[in-house]
Amino acid sequence: MGYTITEKILARASGGAAVRAGDEVRAKPDFVVSYDFPGYTDVIFRQMKDEFGIDKVREPDRFVLFIDHMVPAVTPQEEDLHQNTRDWGAANAVPVHERKGIGHQVAAELGYATPGALVVHFDGHVSQLGTFGTLAIGVRRQLLEAFVKDCILIKVPATTRVDLTGHLRPGVMARDVFHHIVRVLGPASCRFQVLEIGGAALADMSIDARQTITCLAMFTGAITAIINPDQVTLPYARERARLLIEPLYSDVDAAYAARHTIDLTNLEPVVVVPPSPANTRDLSEVLGTEVQVGYLGSCASGRIEDLRAAAQVLRGRSIRPGFQLHVVPTSQEIMRQAAEEGLLTNLITAGAFVTSPSCDYCFGRLGVMTAGQRAVSTGTLNVRGRMGSPDSEIYIVNAAAVAAAAIEGRIADPRRYL
Amino acid sequence: MALSNLRGRVAFMFTERDFDVDQIVGVKNIKLRDPAELAAVAMQAYDPDFARQVRPGDLLVGADNFGYGHPHYPPMIAMRHLGIRGVIAESFSPGYWRGEIAMGFPQVACPGILGFVERWDDIEVDWDGNRIVNYTRGSEIVIEPLSLADRQMLDAGGIVGYLHARDCSEPGAA
Repeated sequence: MGYTITEKILARASGGAAVRAGDEVRAKPDFVVSYDFPGYTDVIFRQMKDEFGIDKVREPDRFVLFIDHMVPAVTPQEEDLHQNTRDWGAANAVPVHERKGIGHQVAAELGYATPGALVVHFDGHVSQLGTFGTLAIGVRRQLLEAFVKDCILIKVPATTRVDLTGHLRPGVMARDVFHHIVRVLGPASCRFQVLEIGGAALADMSIDARQTITCLAMFTGAITAIINPDQVTLPYARERARLLIEPLYSDVDAAYAARHTIDLTNLEPVVVVPPSPANTRDLSEVLGTEVQVGYLGSCASGRIEDLRAAAQVLRGRSIRPGFQLHVVPTSQEIMRQAAEEGLLTNLITAGAFVTSPSCDYCFGRLGVMTAGQRAVSTGTLNVRGRMGSPDSEIYIVNAAAVAAAAIEGRIADPRRYL
Repeated sequence: MALSNLRGRVAFMFTERDFDVDQIVGVKNIKLRDPAELAAVAMQAYDPDFARQVRPGDLLVGADNFGYGHPHYPPMIAMRHLGIRGVIAESFSPGYWRGEIAMGFPQVACPGILGFVERWDDIEVDWDGNRIVNYTRGSEIVIEPLSLADRQMLDAGGIVGYLHARDCSEPGAA
């Protein structure tokens, strides 16, 4: 019986001997990634020093920090947090990247998504580095372990393999694919496992599309998602890779906890209705629902493919008066490309409010809703209060559907505008 | 150090699967930090008398995939302040599980727990016996064993104690 890519990465990171799902191993993360956030990085920096007497991390090249939440700062306390992060980074010779975009995206742009590498973060959406054959796990406060020890103790996770087949129809996007996977498999289907995505349909899927799918793995219960490197991802990843290691791949006879095949041929656009990421429905079930706010952005969506789809829908059209459409490209690199392609011009001309990259629209810090308001969103999550008042509502849809709703002021099928 | 058994009453049963723990304090209170303030607002949507009835040592029971969504720490800070000593559920969402274990707060995966207890039953989590005993009904049920790291983390009262306790002479330790 062969091995999964996850087992191979953890074998490599724990010294080389073969490991199987269920083994507990000491693994050395190749990269320790985080963004500054109260209760996480500030506490870790303090505990490192006060609890463990560690002034500096031993191998600063393994660490990277992003400032992407609370950007721009709106209170002195927020700026204090950022300054503390900059100071810690300078003292530790650890790079701090700010105002370059959402860290999970920028980490890929900067080569931390090295194929075959092990990455840890406190935030589970780092799973999107799995797009490049990197095993990237969000461990919440256990991230402290990676700051004070070289190795983390980790149980090798089992893997559920999902093969996607068929071709997506126009107007159906990666966002629909992911939430359809949740609908088919269930929100607890991959608990404590790795969701490995494969299948012939991947050949049609861009890096952007794959990042969307792997970003959201946690909503299947998985601790991360991973895709075996291929000709789509390897050129991008190897050109940027920060480590010289050989990519790893699942064996054809790898041992999986479960295998599923999902045919995408007849998939329609979907919606995730509030208040849970478990609630996938066909978009057609909620057409006509009045919405006042649209958010196109986040670490899950907001990449060039999403911006192109929205710009195509909005080209030559106007958003409904009074509708608030926030467009937030995921990184500066993406925003620059969108400008060069003329997408921003289309979006702005249609009436969109386009801002520089920030996580803040996704978690209710900017562009918040009041009671009774309802949004269509490509943000990560639709739980109560995620984007403002607990009495506002979030309908998760693909980028084209956000744009279509902005035109009509109601949830609309984007395909009529494509 | 041996992990102490948990003996207490079932203070509440969350029977909704994929339960979002933030609902325990309500999303509008999720940014509160003071444990007493959090405790004062906890469970208002479920049982306004909860704080009056709960006793130190009591336990919570949940359904499948308990802690789904984007769990935050304040709900269980509130529960610990009220005396809750652990959570037993049919199964857990990994992000929630990992976060609370790192806080040193016992979590017990026990398929079948919803049908095994009723509210206010007197029960005991017997770690070494891999079981829960229901003294009210005179029955017992098997629990899923903790991983080594999770058990060590609970033994040590959370991530900081765990890292202190870890043998620095082992390969790979800093």
